[in-house]
Amino acid sequence: MSLKKIFIVMMCACLIPAAFSCKKQSGETIKIGAIFSVTGPASFLGSPEAKTAKMMIDEINGKGGVNGKELKLIVKDSAGSPEKAISFAKQLIEEDKVFAIIGPSTSGESMKIKSICEEGKTILISCAAAEVIVNPVASYVFKSPQNDRFAAQKIYEVMKKMGITRIGVVSSNDGFGLAGKGQLEKLAPASGITILISEVYDKKATDLTGVLTKLKAKNVQAVVNWSIVPAQSIVAKNMKQLNMKVPLFQSHGFGNIKYVKEAGEAAEGIIFPAGRLLIADSLPDNHPQKALLMKYKNDYESKYGEDASTFGGHAYDSLLILVEAIKKAGADADKEKVRDAIEDLKGLAGTGGIFNFSATDHNGLDINAFEMLTVKGGKFVKYE
Amino acid sequence: MAMKKYSPVLALVICVIILQAIASLAGREYYLTQLTMSAYYCLVILGLTVLMGYTGQISLGHAAFFAMGGYTTAVMTTRNLIEMQGSAAVDLAVRLGLTVTEKNAYGVEILHLSPWVSLVTAVCLTAAVAFFIGIPILKLKGHYLAMATLGFGIIIYRIVLGSRIFGEADGISDIPQFALAGGLAVSGDPALRVQNYYIAAVLVVAGVVLLMNLVDSRVGRALRSIHGSEEAANAMGVNVARYKLLVFVLSAVFACIAGVFLTHFNGGVGPSEADVMKSVSYLAIVAVGGMANLWGALVMGILLNYLSLRGYFGSYDEFVFGSILIVIMLFFPNGLLKMENFRWLSDAAARVINSYRARGGEGKDGLS
Repeated sequence: MSLKKIFIVMMCACLIPAAFSCKKQSGETIKIGAIFSVTGPASFLGSPEAKTAKMMIDEINGKGGVNGKELKLIVKDSAGSPEKAISFAKQLIEEDKVFAIIGPSTSGESMKIKSICEEGKTILISCAAAEVIVNPVASYVFKSPQNDRFAAQKIYEVMKKMGITRIGVVSSNDGFGLAGKGQLEKLAPASGITILISEVYDKKATDLTGVLTKLKAKNVQAVVNWSIVPAQSIVAKNMKQLNMKVPLFQSHGFGNIKYVKEAGEAAEGIIFPAGRLLIADSLPDNHPQKALLMKYKNDYESKYGEDASTFGGHAYDSLLILVEAIKKAGADADKEKVRDAIEDLKGLAGTGGIFNFSATDHNGLDINAFEMLTVKGGKFVKYE
Repeated sequence: MAMKKYSPVLALVICVIILQAIASLAGREYYLTQLTMSAYYCLVILGLTVLMGYTGQISLGHAAFFAMGGYTTAVMTTRNLIEMQGSAAVDLAVRLGLTVTEKNAYGVEILHLSPWVSLVTAVCLTAAVAFFIGIPILKLKGHYLAMATLGFGIIIYRIVLGSRIFGEADGISDIPQFALAGGLAVSGDPALRVQNYYIAAVLVVAGVVLLMNLVDSRVGRALRSIHGSEEAANAMGVNVARYKLLVFVLSAVFACIAGVFLTHFNGGVGPSEADVMKSVSYLAIVAVGGMANLWGALVMGILLNYLSLRGYFGSYDEFVFGSILIVIMLFFPNGLLKMENFRWLSDAAARVINSYRARGGEGKDGLS
């Protein structure tokens, strides 16, 4: 009995210095928090984001870290719930005392923790697209994905060139679809486009002939579908079945080759805006994003055995922005100096485009971040 | 008698104070954040315990009542009335002191309705909805009642997800603080953390005392008789329909108040609060707490919510709550925190004490 007791006491005695030594090590590392919805309804965003972030951190640490310090990533799975994102953000800021937070994956969660990070003076680089995240500008809050507005503008530019003025819009009833629908409706008058009909369908819809028949009856010159769900392939197939010969435009949500495969023949000729990740192979060699895109794509695909998506790219960009700013600010820079350094980043090539930050622009991307693509022979190619 | 009845409440109050003291002394007050959030979820669970455990009526729609509270206050207090100033209704509200003027983080002046107004509105609205929904669906029993409440939960979830006024998938952000009386405010501000912890604790203690007395009254006995057999209760002159409705509305109001307070504490609300999985996790906690056991539900509610909110379950959160429900239903239908389940423990303790006494006695004998 007493032997056992002595043994336990000794074990505890051994653990105490071990616990302290853990504390000591953390002085040499830079802690980065990450809130991604790895599970839940937004897992198609969070899962590739978390994988990308882990891959990048390993690579950076393998090369000796940043400014001689090791990076430590703390990933939290919010499952897309704002209350969890709030809880995790507070935990990361006050308890783990992280240097910066990457994520969250969705706009709703990002908006919930925007003021928490601002008050906690911790850098937040969101992986969500909504413009409200950086407008009004909060000094510690940034985002890496392109604005939806630019995607809509890009579509309208192409329509203008094609002489299209009367269109029909269909969108899914989720955050992505409704945000896009709002932008399309807002920008239409200025671009000389008339939206004859705008229909919303359920994000789990499996047949859209009913919706499309209404569009056909209105004699639209083009159809725009804005969603991020399998319905993107269904729209294309149903249009073919209904013998609708007008061009089909999709949002940047179409940027995943699996939707092309699902739609088969019907996908040919779909026009959509997207970041350059999807056409990395066919970019000219002197393009500033080419080398980085090819590397990310090859690394991700060889490590995880699945296609790289633009969503994972958002996490890549967020982390890239942070790391570049830390490098630029120097070895003992505090959060505030790194924050200033982000605003000074110019011409930084990421997966989403070329970032040019300023005190008033915390996104740093412009309309050129999008490229118009089309489907040819079952592949994504640049639209010309 | 009263002493004995309230001694667990006293123990709870002492626990609350000790937890805060330890957290503050250790310089780790941040633990109180998740404890505060868990306490609000516990209010829902306490209400549900009386409905499910004592009265035997299942509900898979309580997340919806919580969301109704949260969203009502969110919508009412985030609307900036400044441009509507001059209209008769707004001016009247200002004159009656029902509004709050403040500057937001970006220096924009905001005039919004006082959260007191939205709290009262939310409670009335939720009680009314629970009342009118309760009349038809509480006629159902067992699986059918579960299905009906599930359906109600899904409807509310789809409404918040699909309505622009509720922010659709993004929910509502930048919800102002809820200034109570005497400088107390429900807010996520780290400087107000300790007082918020106590605000939540006071609500929970008040809820427990209220429900304890309810359960221990004529009404409580009627509720338990309904749980036993509705027909028998009816035959004994218990107005079954009325009591079931009363408890359903009461538990909905508990959920609603929790929703209002947590929404102001978090500063935001999203559709995940109305998610059916949330209702399932409340139900799992009531089950694991021992069904008709307020204290069990309270302990489990704090513990499991705390672990979940701190991310200890990682990506397996829903899996954990789902499997808890299955395991409890299969192996511990009376809940985990029931005295019977600890009989082996007390037996073992008694054996140890007895043998110790026996040996001690021998030793004494030997000495003498």
